[in-house]
Amino acid sequence: MSHFIFKRIISALGGLLGVISLVFFLIHMIPGDPIDVMLGESALTADREALRQGLGLHLPLYEQWWKYLTALTQADFGHSLFSGRPIVDLLLERIPATLHLSIIALGVALIIALPLGLLAATRQHSMFDYGAMGFALFGMSIPNFWMGPLLILVGALWLGWFPVSGMEGWNAVVLPALTLGTAMAAILARMIRSSLLEILGEDFLRTAHAKGLSPLKATFIHALPNALLPVLTLLGLQLGGLLGGAVITETVFAWPGLGLLMIEAIQQRDYPVVQAAVLCISMTYILVNLLTDLLYAWLDPRINWQSPS
Amino acid sequence: MKIAWLFFLFLPFTWGCSESEPDYTIRFGLANAPTQLDPRYATDATSARINRLLYSRLVDFAEDATPMPSLATWVALTPTHYRFDLIEPRPPFPNGVRLSAKDVEATYTSVLAPKTASPHRGLLQNISRIETPFESTVDFFLTHPDPLFPGYVIIGILPANLIVANHPFHDHPVGSGPFLFQERPDDTRLILKRRKDAQRIEFVKVADPTVRTLKLLAGEIQLLQNDLPPELVAYLSNQPFISLQQEQGSNFAYLGFNHQDPVVGQDLVRKAIAHAINRPQIIQYVLGGRARPAQSLFPPNHWLVNSQLEGYRYDPSRARTLLQQAGFNDVKRPTLIYKTSTDPFRLRLATIIQDQLQQVGIDVSIHSHDWGTFYGDIKTGRFQMYSLAWVGLKTPDIFRQAFHSQSVPPLGVNRGRYADPITDRLIVDAEHSSERTTQQAYYGALQARLLDSLPYVPLWYEDQFALSTTAIRGYTLRSDGNYDGLLHVQWIPTPTNDTPVARQGSL
Repeated sequence: MSHFIFKRIISALGGLLGVISLVFFLIHMIPGDPIDVMLGESALTADREALRQGLGLHLPLYEQWWKYLTALTQADFGHSLFSGRPIVDLLLERIPATLHLSIIALGVALIIALPLGLLAATRQHSMFDYGAMGFALFGMSIPNFWMGPLLILVGALWLGWFPVSGMEGWNAVVLPALTLGTAMAAILARMIRSSLLEILGEDFLRTAHAKGLSPLKATFIHALPNALLPVLTLLGLQLGGLLGGAVITETVFAWPGLGLLMIEAIQQRDYPVVQAAVLCISMTYILVNLLTDLLYAWLDPRINWQSPS
Repeated sequence: MKIAWLFFLFLPFTWGCSESEPDYTIRFGLANAPTQLDPRYATDATSARINRLLYSRLVDFAEDATPMPSLATWVALTPTHYRFDLIEPRPPFPNGVRLSAKDVEATYTSVLAPKTASPHRGLLQNISRIETPFESTVDFFLTHPDPLFPGYVIIGILPANLIVANHPFHDHPVGSGPFLFQERPDDTRLILKRRKDAQRIEFVKVADPTVRTLKLLAGEIQLLQNDLPPELVAYLSNQPFISLQQEQGSNFAYLGFNHQDPVVGQDLVRKAIAHAINRPQIIQYVLGGRARPAQSLFPPNHWLVNSQLEGYRYDPSRARTLLQQAGFNDVKRPTLIYKTSTDPFRLRLATIIQDQLQQVGIDVSIHSHDWGTFYGDIKTGRFQMYSLAWVGLKTPDIFRQAFHSQSVPPLGVNRGRYADPITDRLIVDAEHSSERTTQQAYYGALQARLLDSLPYVPLWYEDQFALSTTAIRGYTLRSDGNYDGLLHVQWIPTPTNDTPVARQGSL
């Protein structure tokens, strides 16, 4: 097992280096100069150059990249070009908000998706099935930038149960979590249904039925755990995406998370913050996927730790 | 065991729980948060407007943009020597110490120091030295005469001892303005307290205009100003518990051109474009009547404006004739790339202008980019035509910055690479005249020249507007969009107007 984890970590580090380098060069290649955003256009050329040198932006790109990588090995993310604050502090401020939203959204998604998927699979071609899959199609088709304001209109304005946006109050998370959770639930419900349908046709379930096990018990005890294995992979990917910052949802709900930080940093051409945010997101993805693989292997004894996958 | 599970299940919901006590903090919705609360570094409009509340300054501007005393009166002892006397009573800093001439000297010395790297250093380069002969007197010595100099000393004054101590003013602003800094819980919120009555004002950044509108309707914010598309303004103004205030504005919207481009570099093409745009129609139907047609950088009430100027009237047939004179016809049509930001409203305006230009025989392709890319392209001259607006223009130094041939970025903001010897000469003559009336005449001639040669096609001055719940009283708008109305704004609680609009059946 340790060999498997070691191999995965090594490949993850390689992927991480690739992502960091790609983002570093891409963000420096897009038009726009942070010095312009910081000093405005009327600043003196001498001042602009002084600031450029002070921030190390005058160095050739490959030198900046090497300096950045060297600093990263010492866990030094650098400072924001705009606020001058250590980027670690910025990340530590934002990550809890994203984590909070992601966990609740995941919970919402599971609460919706599990019963829907189950009902749709066990009552295939019934009204439940069509209704559940209609909901799934609806959930997947609605973009978050529309779903968010719609939920605000109903939940905050008409009913007055939740705040429109922001993070103040215990119930502030409900609408953004519903926005994210509904979209995710739609995908999960479809996956649970198809996976469960496949399992329900297996011989071992027919045997269980023949031995007198009730359909409910057979589904919950034998079918569902097996059907959830492929769902787990999808869940890992989805969670990785959520923890990476739900940019649109965080913008709509003014939720001060990682996604909002990244979008603001991109607009300001705050290179170190963008790089750190992307690094954070990549690491989250890699970590969640690693955990998913480990969990997968732990849940399914047929998977061999020594296997290349 | 079950209770423990339930506890863990609902634990995330309790994150961020806080007691919400009813208070009368006035919440002001912003599209952008202030990026810099240290006035030596602030360049964006939101920061400048909030810094006005936190810091006091030597000079302010009247409605016609003439400089007027704020902290100090002034007199020109010689053309290169200005004396500023602080007006009594001088405002105190939060520690109770009254602002003094030393603070003024320290602030401007700090701005002028190269190591500070202040973006305002260029504007104040004419200052050769600063002296404080008395406790409430500051002398500014200039390298060359400038009758407009008082209009440039508008930077918020910081306490001298904290400048020396390298105090982080951005994180903890310390000023002598009418408001005190309270706290900044996160990047999206900033809380100030009014000195005279401890009224709290919270600035809340909500980037999305629809959500900002919904927050106003839900009573989560009580006030917002500008940055809403006209249809949302119209919708809100029809709500019974929302009041709309409107004031003529001075923000100048224009079309800019690359003068090195073979098509829009031609005077005839730019004039054709000016005649092809139906500004009155756009103002009436797209901007909801909340704008005035523009002829010059400065609005009609500005003391420097040339009131004799007549803009380009909408005349599509004249536009076609001009294009023919430029060598274009139905077969050989000019094709332009129009760059704009991704703001949906700016895009809508761009498509209307695209349609109007197409009607006279100019094909336009719209390219919209995120702000950083758009701004980068404009600065480096990678454009044929673009639309932007100048915000908060007061002093005529903008003419040198935007139109002198030596002011091409990074030396200035002549983004279109406009080069006209007559314009250059008029700018220099105006700057070197020591009489205000002579200067006024030169700048008047300059505006006429600019309208004729069209480095920009002037579009309109967008009005300022504020929307508030009816519980909010006493907020007044200024033409430059500053937030000085917060000095007198009050929340008058009554049983009806305390209830969020949405729950009073208006939706």
